[in-house]
Amino acid sequence: MFKWKINLIAVLIVSLLFYLLSYPLNDWLSLTMPRHQLLQLPAMFLLGIILNACCPNFEVKNISYGIAGLIFIMASLIFWMLPRSVDESVIHPNFNRTMHFNMLVAGFLTIAILRNTIFEIKIVFLGMVSAMLLATGVALRVFDMLLCSSFTIDQQKETGLYFILIAVGSFTGTLLVLFKSLNHK
Amino acid sequence: MIQISSVEKRQQKKLVILWSITFLILFPLLVTLGLLMRLNQGEWMRMSPGTFYALMTLHGLGMAGSLFSIALAAISYLIATRYARLNIGVGYFSYVSVVLGVLGLAIASLYAKFGAGWYLLYPLPFTGANWPAWSTGLTIISIIVLGIGLLINCLHVLYALAKEYGGITRIAGWQYFKKDPPEKELPSVVMISTISLVPAVLAFLAASVMLIMYLLKYFEPSLAFDPLLLKNLTFFFGHTLVNVTMYIGVGWLYTLLPEFTHRDWKITKVTAIAWNATFFFILFAYFHHLYMDFVQPLPLQYAGQLASYFSAIPATAVTMFGVIVQLYHSKIKWTIVPLMFLLGTAGWAIGGFAAVVDSTISINKVLHNTLWVPAHFHTYMLMGILLFILAFFYYLVGAKEDPGKDQKPKLGFWLFVIGSYSFLLMFYLGGLNSVPRRYSDYGGIPLKNVHETGAHLAQAASVSICLLLLGLMLMYVTLFTKLLRSSRPAAQNETVL
Repeated sequence: MFKWKINLIAVLIVSLLFYLLSYPLNDWLSLTMPRHQLLQLPAMFLLGIILNACCPNFEVKNISYGIAGLIFIMASLIFWMLPRSVDESVIHPNFNRTMHFNMLVAGFLTIAILRNTIFEIKIVFLGMVSAMLLATGVALRVFDMLLCSSFTIDQQKETGLYFILIAVGSFTGTLLVLFKSLNHK
Repeated sequence: MIQISSVEKRQQKKLVILWSITFLILFPLLVTLGLLMRLNQGEWMRMSPGTFYALMTLHGLGMAGSLFSIALAAISYLIATRYARLNIGVGYFSYVSVVLGVLGLAIASLYAKFGAGWYLLYPLPFTGANWPAWSTGLTIISIIVLGIGLLINCLHVLYALAKEYGGITRIAGWQYFKKDPPEKELPSVVMISTISLVPAVLAFLAASVMLIMYLLKYFEPSLAFDPLLLKNLTFFFGHTLVNVTMYIGVGWLYTLLPEFTHRDWKITKVTAIAWNATFFFILFAYFHHLYMDFVQPLPLQYAGQLASYFSAIPATAVTMFGVIVQLYHSKIKWTIVPLMFLLGTAGWAIGGFAAVVDSTISINKVLHNTLWVPAHFHTYMLMGILLFILAFFYYLVGAKEDPGKDQKPKLGFWLFVIGSYSFLLMFYLGGLNSVPRRYSDYGGIPLKNVHETGAHLAQAASVSICLLLLGLMLMYVTLFTKLLRSSRPAAQNETVL
């Protein structure tokens, strides 16, 4: 009973945070590229993860569905990194909210799937996401043309740098998961 | 050794036979591409540079990919039938991915003449290309598909072994570092597989970064990446994978040779230290591919030379010594399998020595990008890993139980050895005479001596390749018949190796 109440409170907090990030703070978060790509997008993803922690019974146990889900998550991440999508989401708040909801669902599903999927899929997914982040970061760093007309080249390069740092962390995490999983006695 | 049901063993055997037949069909086709290239260099036939480089690309990518794939399939089979349970579905997934990848590569190179070489060195696939842009995209996607299939297979084998033997440190043989001998013996092949497959996983992860960057460049041509970064990623992937292929082959040498010598080949402290050292140094040896890149930090160049020496020597020296101990006064019957293992080990050592020579900075200044480079890697691929693979195939079809009947393959084998070594000799002589590598023909070389030497050596090499192919075909006659017989349902009642 007590746990149920905690979960309900957590869901309410997540909903409140989602509302704050998506409505009152939306203009501020859409002002620069690092804020939009590195705060708003991951924040929504993180909220999805927290939301999943509130409903631990929701699990994707079927491996095929899990792989399909991971492909959906990967495609979502790629889609919201495309310059055109970024521009559209800055210009149209409702399109931006679609991104928020998509990221929330992606974060929610990621844990639900990774918790139950097999080791091989887990490592391939984490490795590919890390590789994607690194490649995107490097691309943003080296590109001297404005990719998103809503932002500046300096912001683009700054975002690239942070993407690289996140990717390094993500790769380290992948390796930790790899060796930890291989070290089960 | 765990108990594995005969049904599981049969399923695994069926899978490995499928891999074997595919490889046996693909391999001579890829050799023929090599023959065509040498014929062109020898001026006995004419082909456009575009065609030459397309053939070179398919030959290189096809050989590297198929040798790694069959090596992985064979080691998976040995593990699945003796040491740990492997999921057959993962094996088939890997097979389908590799076949799809190879098909994509074949279309890109043979139809669209994609010719950036196996290494796709940046910015070669994108700048000044005389092939359609879609073939670059197809090549990148094909390698991604192929890579994901192989990566999942590598991870699956590692996980199964770790589960069976109690963790990564145990399967890497770290328990042998202690003073007291371990309670439970670790099979050599388990340790060697681990030492090989962990770097392979890291190499695939590096390749995924590189290939995603290539995809970004493909979709947005105005992007310009740092060529040095991409060269480092390319060779970390390529060099590591080729070395891993060799080490996996050595894995089944440790497993199968003792069955012929009737002597144990156990892991000792020295073996464990040597192989673990190799695991570490193999990751840094690729720096020797960047000696000519003056912007590469100098300490990395020195690290490249040191790592090349340290990665080659411990495992090779320990294995050579092990092979000698296995064979000395063993009264072994010299059937085709141990013969292939012995000459395969020799090929590994000779090619490895030539590689170490070339990785020496002062020598590399002279030999860099000459035919010495293909000479060394063809030596350990053709006379090392391929002989190990053929030995495995003969073992698979029961050459151990039926040693008396393998006279025809033996004749083929010796023809193959003579043809291969004379083919390799032409490469080495070309290297020593400064004949450059990757030239479609030598007509444009202003030095008459180099031009003529290159062409004559290529002519001699072409004849040698024909001899090599003839030997291969003789071996194929028995090999194919037996493999096909093994894959038929009637063979299900026979003993599963």
